[in-house]
Amino acid sequence: MGLFALVFLCLYRAVFGPGVLNRIAAISAIGTKTLVILLLMGFIYNRVEMFVDISMVYALLNFIGTITAAKYLEMKGEL
Amino acid sequence: MTRVTDDIIIRTVARVFMPFIQIYALYVIMHGHHSPGGGFQGGVILGASFILYLITHGVEDAKKRMSELKAGLLSSFGLLIYSGIGLLCLILGSNYLDYGGLSTLLNVIPAQARSLGILGIEIGVGIAVMAVMFSVFFDISTGGILPEDEEDLGVNK
Amino acid sequence: MYILHIASIPFLLVSFFFFLAATVGLLRFPDFFCRLHATGKGDTLAVLLSLIGLSIYEGFSLTSLKIIFIAVFMFLAQPTSTHAISRAAMRCGLEPWVKNKEEIK
Repeated sequence: MGLFALVFLCLYRAVFGPGVLNRIAAISAIGTKTLVILLLMGFIYNRVEMFVDISMVYALLNFIGTITAAKYLEMKGEL
Repeated sequence: MTRVTDDIIIRTVARVFMPFIQIYALYVIMHGHHSPGGGFQGGVILGASFILYLITHGVEDAKKRMSELKAGLLSSFGLLIYSGIGLLCLILGSNYLDYGGLSTLLNVIPAQARSLGILGIEIGVGIAVMAVMFSVFFDISTGGILPEDEEDLGVNK
Repeated sequence: MYILHIASIPFLLVSFFFFLAATVGLLRFPDFFCRLHATGKGDTLAVLLSLIGLSIYEGFSLTSLKIIFIAVFMFLAQPTSTHAISRAAMRCGLEPWVKNKEEIK
């Protein structure tokens, strides 16, 4: 339950961060916390084999999305 | 996205991860009836691996691996597998996409023929989805203008 | 198998502490690069510890091997994405924050 509160705290930085770079870092952090929350939910409901596959896919998507956003900013040349 | 990432860390890490992502995509396609997954989800993950290569290595290198021609042909090939199995069932005497008719061709009982038919359909769908995703991303990132035509058309980069 | 259940609890508690530290760092540090430090390192370590704890909970089976695969992937991929973001920030011309401006000149 404590991880939910942490996700909301991170969301604050994602919304209010001055500039777009802070928001990208905050979204990556939210994604990582979501992964752990998914696995814990799998353990609580005793059906852990399903949630392992889902969380691996989400780890991949988080990685690819962050690299894409960073490369787009680098190409644009300015904030 | 026509500029290559001139950073060696990101390029190496992306190159190391690509085979494992593709193996995981094949696993997701094959285990469609046991765990969450199936044809469409596995195809998306397989396409995501090619998109990762396109992002970090630029348009020229990605064109050497999979050109637009190959992507178009692969999408049609996936669709051919899908409807080919359906028509095969039609020819062998059952309804369209009724896999029980395959049991005479493969010498198995009808229940097993149904399971194999679904597996074949998922593979076809996965290949088609992968090719379409790569082709759409390729067209969006270059705007339809290839790097060798840019000097002719007078487009500033 | 209660010994495995008890052995995995300290991992989860320590990982929760690291998550808390990383998030507080994300909110309160004065500059963008400091925040990147906090979330890049703290998050990676916390995820690693929590995944190891969860795989110990299961015992030795196929599921725990898959969880260890996720842990190895996270260990390699998250610092790379942090590196990519910081590279983009350097290209955009963001400057690090120093406490006394007279020390640079």
